[in-house]
Amino acid sequence: MTRPFALFATVAISVLSLSPALAETITIKLSTLAERSAPARITNIEAAAEIMNQQFKAAGVDKQIVIDAKSSSAKGWDDLALELLKAFAVGQGPDISVLPHEWIGQFAQDGYAMAMDDRIAATPWVYGDILPVLWNAAKAADGKIYGIPQDAEIRMFFYNKDMLRKIGKDEAFINGLPEKVERGEFTLDDLTALSKEVVDKGGAQYGMLHRPNVGIDYLMVFQSFGVRFADEQTGKLIFPKAEMTKALAWYGRNAKEGVTPVDNTAMSWDAIQSAFKQEKAFIFHQGVWALAWQVGTSMGATWPSDGEGYFKKIGWIPAPAAEKGGQPMNLSHPLLYMVNPKGEHANLAADLVALATLPYFNNQHAVTSYHTAISNAQTAMPIYKENWALSAASPMMAHARFVPNHTKFSSYNKVLFSGLQAVETGKMTPEQAVDFIADELQLQFGAEIDIRDAVAK
Amino acid sequence: MIPTAQLRPHRPAQPMFYLAPALILLAVFFVAPILVNAVIAFTDMGPNLRVGTLTVENFLRIVQRDARLPLVLMTTLIYVAATLLLFNVGLGALLAIASTAIPDRLGNLFRGLWLLPRMSPAVLYGILWIWIADPSPSGLLTMVTAPLGLPSVNLRNDFPLLLIVLANGVVGASFAMVILTASIRAIPQHLSHAARADGASEWGVLRHVVAPALSAPIRVVTLYQALSLLTTYEYILLITGGGPVYDSTPYALYIYRRAFESGAYGYGAALALGLMAIGVALTLLQWRVSRMHATFAAPKIEIL
Repeated sequence: MTRPFALFATVAISVLSLSPALAETITIKLSTLAERSAPARITNIEAAAEIMNQQFKAAGVDKQIVIDAKSSSAKGWDDLALELLKAFAVGQGPDISVLPHEWIGQFAQDGYAMAMDDRIAATPWVYGDILPVLWNAAKAADGKIYGIPQDAEIRMFFYNKDMLRKIGKDEAFINGLPEKVERGEFTLDDLTALSKEVVDKGGAQYGMLHRPNVGIDYLMVFQSFGVRFADEQTGKLIFPKAEMTKALAWYGRNAKEGVTPVDNTAMSWDAIQSAFKQEKAFIFHQGVWALAWQVGTSMGATWPSDGEGYFKKIGWIPAPAAEKGGQPMNLSHPLLYMVNPKGEHANLAADLVALATLPYFNNQHAVTSYHTAISNAQTAMPIYKENWALSAASPMMAHARFVPNHTKFSSYNKVLFSGLQAVETGKMTPEQAVDFIADELQLQFGAEIDIRDAVAK
Repeated sequence: MIPTAQLRPHRPAQPMFYLAPALILLAVFFVAPILVNAVIAFTDMGPNLRVGTLTVENFLRIVQRDARLPLVLMTTLIYVAATLLLFNVGLGALLAIASTAIPDRLGNLFRGLWLLPRMSPAVLYGILWIWIADPSPSGLLTMVTAPLGLPSVNLRNDFPLLLIVLANGVVGASFAMVILTASIRAIPQHLSHAARADGASEWGVLRHVVAPALSAPIRVVTLYQALSLLTTYEYILLITGGGPVYDSTPYALYIYRRAFESGAYGYGAALALGLMAIGVALTLLQWRVSRMHATFAAPKIEIL
């Protein structure tokens, strides 16, 4: 026997004798958007898999689950959804994906999302306690539930109290602002005037900053002006021109008066967030999860990490009413875990989601990423209660609304955002922008959109 | 002209065998995508990549209803014409002439500097321009204009088209520079010596010796760069994103935005067919106008 052959035989025999000891590996693919502050969307599923693996081991089952997680670098959730649709179309869809709730309709319609109603009914030990309002966000047009709430949150305007002190406002005014907004006494125009005052008196470089790209936050303002995005009876998307004009005009005025920079939509996230953190901007409009970088040392400035210190510096308000006596608005934008019904291990994937949804795990996500609880039990747990930010955010859910679960809403929102950009940059008047948006919506959706003069027909 | 058969009497037995790799590449990467695109253009393919019906709706939408198209076509015309004439040909020729007129070592350094943007990654280049155009005190342009007492200009918002012409021009000039430098170097030295001996000025040499040698390569560069400008959009996407709204969106980027921003793949494919038609038409026109066949004609002297 030659030496190479002997070597080969040894290796072959050892591999063969080893292989029965190797467990059957079940790979579960998980897909989400890369977000540094929210690693638990992945680690919770991994932890669930670990529990199952231990159970397999204890029961002598020769199987091992491996989570193959992909954090997409897509620009935003909508782009991730488009990416996923492409993957599913060629049979490469992941077993579990994290998606914003308004996309669930599209995925359900295409057969990419598992209907969960039976599972939810059969698994009360986890699903029995989920906030009912979140189930509504997970329903497709057929009324069935196709996703499991992964997190919840609340959007708001953050305002810098130190700047108000700097321009000579008293503590009663500064700390009384949220209540005045709540009662509908302090309107969006008052907010513009206040921001202008702060800028004019040298309190800040920017009055108000909002997100630079398509998203959800600015829709709160539209809702304050009475905009509704879908007909409540028919579920059809609507575009009410009168209310839209008013809302866009507010953004136009902000830009014209120097409250919002005309190129807010061309700024980078980094520039916007650090402007607020480094106290160059009076107001920043986003959501509670922004606390992940607001507290502590990120973005080039250090802010207090304790509730008392933080709220001495920063206050929160919902979108104020458009007119005195009106209703302030909040938006919540829950994410969902969606299970691929065609996956080889679809049931196992659904079980992993169930485990990862347990209060213990969801709280891991909630407290590290500053997202509000999805179940009642979570809010009672010490780790959640000790989180002053989440405890303060939960009551804001009272006004929370959701964007419609319509398959075309994300495209609708993109068009709306370009209209907002057109007004803010001074390229169009609000009226022109409304015509532009209406024309674009008509072009893209035809009969699927109801373009009206006002919400009330 | 000597027929090729005489030069190479033993023709290969299987020409197809030798051509096959090139033909396969052409078929897979050129013909097949065009065919696939042509088919998609006649479907209602949306975000889920499914084909519901075969339809001419996309084309009706282009010709009848798309109110953005006139602006987009105008933007394309301005963008391509301005970048091409001012930078990709104009500045390129100027750089070639200037850098060959100075001592070699300096000329090489100079050309090397102009090649830098071409060598740097597109994303880095894009970020540099965003920094240049940033209207805040930390933007490069503002740093230059502020001490002069000039108001800060927001290029990305107020002059997006100018910005993308500048950004694409600076990176695009190097192509013509390299090609034309080679052409100038290929001019026999004795021609300019003779011209100078006859009393020609520097301008005369440039006008009567250098310029004639550049006309053929300039035609090639113009054709090539026009098509290239018409179909590429990466710097624009990086620097202005085609905005504000559609203000700096030329046709190629418009296709991308329609197809990939909201998943209207069928409509995007129909628009892409339009770009192909524009490209072919432009090429034929330029071929005709600039007598390109003379450039590609067989040489009038024998090459053995």
